[in-house]
Amino acid sequence: MINLDHVSFAYPEQGPSVNDVSFRVEDGEFVAILGANGAGKTTTVRLIDGLIRPTAGKVEINGTDTVTSSVSERARKVGFLFQNPDRQICKNTVREEILFGLQTVRGDEGEEALRARCEEVLKDFGFSGDEEPFSLSRGQRQRVALASILAVEPEILILDEPTTGLDYFECCHIMDRIRRMNEENRVTVIMVCHDMEVVLDYAKRALVMAGGHLLADGPVKEIFRDAALMEKASILAPQMISLSTRLGEGFEDADSPESVADAVLALRKGGARHA
Amino acid sequence: MHNLFQYVPGNSIIHRMNPITKIFLTIVICIAAFVSGNLLFLAGLLAVDLLIGFIAGIPEKTLTIFKGLLKIAIFLFVLQILLVRGGTPVFWIITDEGLLTAARVVLRLVIVCMPLALVLAVTRVTDLTNSLVQVLHVPYKYAFTLSTAIRFIPQFLEEMSGIMEAQTARGVAFDKAKGLKKFSMILPLCAPLLISSVRKTDLTAAAAEVRGFRLRTRQSGYKRYPFTILDLGAAAFCLLLLAAAILL
Repeated sequence: MINLDHVSFAYPEQGPSVNDVSFRVEDGEFVAILGANGAGKTTTVRLIDGLIRPTAGKVEINGTDTVTSSVSERARKVGFLFQNPDRQICKNTVREEILFGLQTVRGDEGEEALRARCEEVLKDFGFSGDEEPFSLSRGQRQRVALASILAVEPEILILDEPTTGLDYFECCHIMDRIRRMNEENRVTVIMVCHDMEVVLDYAKRALVMAGGHLLADGPVKEIFRDAALMEKASILAPQMISLSTRLGEGFEDADSPESVADAVLALRKGGARHA
Repeated sequence: MHNLFQYVPGNSIIHRMNPITKIFLTIVICIAAFVSGNLLFLAGLLAVDLLIGFIAGIPEKTLTIFKGLLKIAIFLFVLQILLVRGGTPVFWIITDEGLLTAARVVLRLVIVCMPLALVLAVTRVTDLTNSLVQVLHVPYKYAFTLSTAIRFIPQFLEEMSGIMEAQTARGVAFDKAKGLKKFSMILPLCAPLLISSVRKTDLTAAAAEVRGFRLRTRQSGYKRYPFTILDLGAAAFCLLLLAAAILL
């Protein structure tokens, strides 16, 4: 369980990036943090992992204040996937890269167990293990970074714009794997994302931020249907949600179409009724 | 730390000097520091460094640079007094010659490094490049290389900090390690830093090419860099410094 209690943070010589933010994330939730650039999303997730310390308020993970332990100690429980995979990758092969993460936080389990876990993860992610990470594509490198984090089996996974710059299929590859971890292993996921279609497809709850403040907190669909909120937070809702919202009455049978198929169905029903 | 080499806007007399004069002043301070071995003179040069920073209106930055150099200086000082064995023993294996050499080395290090950092804090990199091309007729290609290298320093520091943060989040104990242990942890991170640097350099080169980098000549810059009375004053001060260094 993650708890932020009246948390504020200001970078030196700048105004507050996060201002009096409070929310609670239960185990196994899939939460997306939304907002325009500079809204305070990345600062919030960095505060959760303790990469920066709050200037006011407190952040608790499973009831423990994050300032009482170090980030490296928390790495066993909290995995952080950064936007730029090249900052995480530091080994010559994918196998070494995954082993590096395992040895760092699960070194006490013995070499054999770690190697077995590494091979399991390699197979799961479709890598042979001998690939050179830096010669892979951007999407594949992001998958290597994700694999090395998931290998550790964290309880909480923080994703800072994990799909930025990836093509559709790479994006689905990564997000499907994260959803599996969330649904099967009850890993808590907190994701900062600018792609609202991804948020609609994968997250269950959304936190909307603007100017360092938390504007709204609720189920993703409800958040996206609030046109005034979307405008205030400078967010463009997913096209299907916008379509259903703008079509308005007469299309309420299709409770918020999420896909083209849903929209077609709603339009047909609505059209037939109007005819 | 990231902002240490970045330009601080201002209108002080140091800011208004010709960039070439500032480079000249820096070089003269460096030469003077190595010509004279007089500790009092070296201490005076250090005071000049600090004074330049204060006149430029960047006392905080000057002291930050000074404090940063002081850490390296203390390490070097200890190393010197332990390694230099000539002269009369003063205490344990420490000799008077060791102390003198250590003091000289440390003072010279700080004296030489400070103006180099201060020049970047009071001069826009573009002004530095353009004045090198216009006044000293340095080929633009080389001046651009220099300015790009300077501009990349804070970016590399930021990148390194980002890499360390990412590795800490993976469990590498950067947040707990200190000294040599921390240094040994940093070494493996040179690979991602090097790769990101090469990628960034490639991108910068491509961007410069598509913007007509090769077409640029000495006449391309519209801004001129005339020498003023301030520069004359600074030149006179440089001559005085050199003379004092030779005499002392």
